[in-house]
Amino acid sequence: MTHNPTIVVGIKQVPDDDEVRIDPDTGRLDRSSAPAVLNSPDRNALEAALGVRDDVGGQVIAMTMGPPPAADVLKEAVAMGCDDGVLISDIAFGGSDTWPTSLTLARTAEYLDADIVVCGEETTDSSTGQVPPGIAAHRGWAQLTYVEELEPLPEANQLAARRDVEGGYERVVADLPVVVAVAFGENEPRPAGLHRKIYAENEFEPVTVDANDLDIDEETVGLEASPTNVGGMETIEGVDRERTVVDDVDELAEAIRSTEVFA
Amino acid sequence: MTDIDPSEYSDVWVFVEDHDGDVMSVSWELLNEAKTLVEETGEELVALVIGEDVDGVVEEAIARGADRVLVADDGVFEPYRADPYGEQFRAMVEERKPSIVLIGGTHTGRDFAGRVAVPTHAGLTADCTEIDVAEDGVLQARRPAFGGNVLATIICEEHRPQMATIRPGVFEAAPPENDRDGEIERVDVVVEEADTLTEVLERSTGETADVTEADRIVAAGGGIDGDLEPIRRLADALGAEIAASRHAVDEGWVDGSRQIGQTGKTVRPELYVAVGISGAVQHLEGMNDSEVVVAINNDPNAPIFDHADYGIVGDLFEVCPELADALEGAEQPEVTL
Repeated sequence: MTHNPTIVVGIKQVPDDDEVRIDPDTGRLDRSSAPAVLNSPDRNALEAALGVRDDVGGQVIAMTMGPPPAADVLKEAVAMGCDDGVLISDIAFGGSDTWPTSLTLARTAEYLDADIVVCGEETTDSSTGQVPPGIAAHRGWAQLTYVEELEPLPEANQLAARRDVEGGYERVVADLPVVVAVAFGENEPRPAGLHRKIYAENEFEPVTVDANDLDIDEETVGLEASPTNVGGMETIEGVDRERTVVDDVDELAEAIRSTEVFA
Repeated sequence: MTDIDPSEYSDVWVFVEDHDGDVMSVSWELLNEAKTLVEETGEELVALVIGEDVDGVVEEAIARGADRVLVADDGVFEPYRADPYGEQFRAMVEERKPSIVLIGGTHTGRDFAGRVAVPTHAGLTADCTEIDVAEDGVLQARRPAFGGNVLATIICEEHRPQMATIRPGVFEAAPPENDRDGEIERVDVVVEEADTLTEVLERSTGETADVTEADRIVAAGGGIDGDLEPIRRLADALGAEIAASRHAVDEGWVDGSRQIGQTGKTVRPELYVAVGISGAVQHLEGMNDSEVVVAINNDPNAPIFDHADYGIVGDLFEVCPELADALEGAEQPEVTL
């Protein structure tokens, strides 16, 4: 790198999981009433990116794709310490699945001249985790997913990371540019500073880019360009349980003993 | 947009995830489940083995149900890295045009799937729990959505391959049949070390617990507050494996290979004891098929009690040891191999 890397953080506005209600009449999920919030794994991404800037300098730019109200999450990112925020907004992007979404974010990262792209592990509203590797694949960049810790190596123009792998960890070094997905809950996101917060609320205006700015052919994004479609939805039937709450431990032991497990 | 002709694509591929010769059990689960897909379509079931010195893995893939094994055997593929695996996979897909590709939903599987779906312009569905194929050859990939309250069917009609990652533990592996016949085909390795973008400096994996195999499970949640002792005590008394909610894993109290739920594993033991677990839908998804569920929690309003057969409201630090004592006289489980 460059001792002053450009670090771009991909963030997303999602419905607040805790506020999604089930319509008592239809049994369906009502997401429309849920407030929109910053995807919580993205806080770990922002912290990791700001941590790299603490170590080696450079600038941190948050990017988000969505309609204009999604700019709210950019304000949060700027309040946390990001230098700037970019809203990627175009009617052409509507209905994109992970393929065109990662294309659009990859183009934006390139447009911003990113050395490092940092994302959260996955989003809470679709939980695929496909976008960070997708961004890397669209540009042929290196990728580091499930990252627990980052270590910039500016002299070598590389980034080292400790990754969580099944049953353990590995340490990997990657050439730049690189796309990082930070394992959820892996760091302690810093609180927004008061001055930054006032700036974000009152003065900050995000840069807005559309398909044209990013030189994206509208045929390659949106619903039509998405390989996957939702073919149907069905409500999952709950499992019928006894739901017997017992009063003491002996009764519980007796209940467990009486099940077929111990037959 | 590149238009493709889906009828030019055929066969079902299963990515066999091995690390230094150790195969993740989800790979064998997929190979077994994929047999039902090829029975439907009349196609070949193909195992994809990428690694170094993988002859043993190749043989086992045939014994576990593959009609054909495609082998890319080279030092550049050990240990796993997304960029060389992605390049190799892309070349193989372009040459051979598979219709369906199934990948285990482990960290490595999700890292790989996300990488390879882009250059092949594949449709990729994450974390499926049910799969079947329609008469027209379109994969019906079903996954829990919106916090697990609905099952969404994801389809990919105009692109190939149709890819899906599948949650570990959802399907059962078949025992190996050592007299099965299958074809082994070594493919050209298209990646060179000089072209790679990453280098693995160190890799350390301890025991990778397979909680999906356990008949009895005691699972720890946020309520344990970092103290695993009551869980160990109860698990010992029951002859059970220890598992955990995401909360307990994120706190570092229990290893991630033991995580149950939406981003972890799916288990279906005879007995599942949830200790200090509130019962978020993301967790319930991973254990709802257990035969008997027992909940221990100090919050009488915790949702877990609605999803348990037997519950007790109390301090887990008192209940667990007392319950262990009370159960100590109970029969020990038969050892299953």
